Amino acid sequence: MNTLVKKRLLIAWLALSLMTLGYLAMDHSADRAGALRPSVAVTIGAVLIAAAKMRIIFREFMEVRHAPAWLGRLTDLCVLLLVASLLGSYFIGRAAG
Amino acid sequence: MTTSSVKEAEAGKAVPFVPGQPDMWFFALFETLVFTAYFVVYMFARMQHHEAFLQSQAKLSLSIGTFNTLVLLVSSWSMARCVKEARVGAYRSALTNAFLTASFGVVFLGSKIYEWVREIRLGYGFASDEFFSYYFFLTGIHALHLLIGFVVLGVVVHQLRSPERRSQNLVETGAVYWHTVDFLWVLVFSLLYVVR
Repeated sequence: MNTLVKKRLLIAWLALSLMTLGYLAMDHSADRAGALRPSVAVTIGAVLIAAAKMRIIFREFMEVRHAPAWLGRLTDLCVLLLVASLLGSYFIGRAAG
Repeated sequence: MTTSSVKEAEAGKAVPFVPGQPDMWFFALFETLVFTAYFVVYMFARMQHHEAFLQSQAKLSLSIGTFNTLVLLVSSWSMARCVKEARVGAYRSALTNAFLTASFGVVFLGSKIYEWVREIRLGYGFASDEFFSYYFFLTGIHALHLLIGFVVLGVVVHQLRSPERRSQNLVETGAVYWHTVDFLWVLVFSLLYVVR
């Protein structure tokens, strides 16, 4: 495995780890005296970060960036469908609740 | 797909390839859809009892959840390295990375069991309330996928150990499964521990 490939995998892993640690900061920003409070911004942020991490795993670890275009489009569609489903059910549930 | 075509693709030349067997990709995307359905039901239920879900969510340890996520991301990183090393014929290094992947998987499972025991000892079991029913269902079904992942890793190690058996395609197929388990956890973690 050449150095460039090693470096690229390391950068992908670092980005994924930093995004995970970013959740801690998001979480503290929405806390009030140790109690969890509802937050649309934190929910949207959490879903979008999870989707970004999923896409990085697809492209870098699962090598979709070397795959034929159809597989790239299919995995992107999967990520988009997930985001739309999660945010859609969140907002529909919120309006109905 | 040939090893040379993969090398050319990695070098930036336009020779695209599908890593592993297409059947495993079909399975990975199907599993993503199944989990998406679980998540939709969870999110909708969550918004029907928003305050109750938040109060129960506060009983979870975000630190343990974050630790678990980081551990599984390291395991995915070593699995990706295993594939690349096997591709260039560095089988000893590929084997080391496969064992590292399994080791991090064991750490994740141990930490998950510790967290389940902790929650149950605090009085929050599967039937305690709606949030914990979803929590134990989603983390439980993910743990089941992880256990299957250990079998898949066993096949990868079996392939890498003997020159007669070595199949790059099977190593890549195993990696696709392991990474699927990883990104499914990324989603479970953000929905159970972080969303508000």
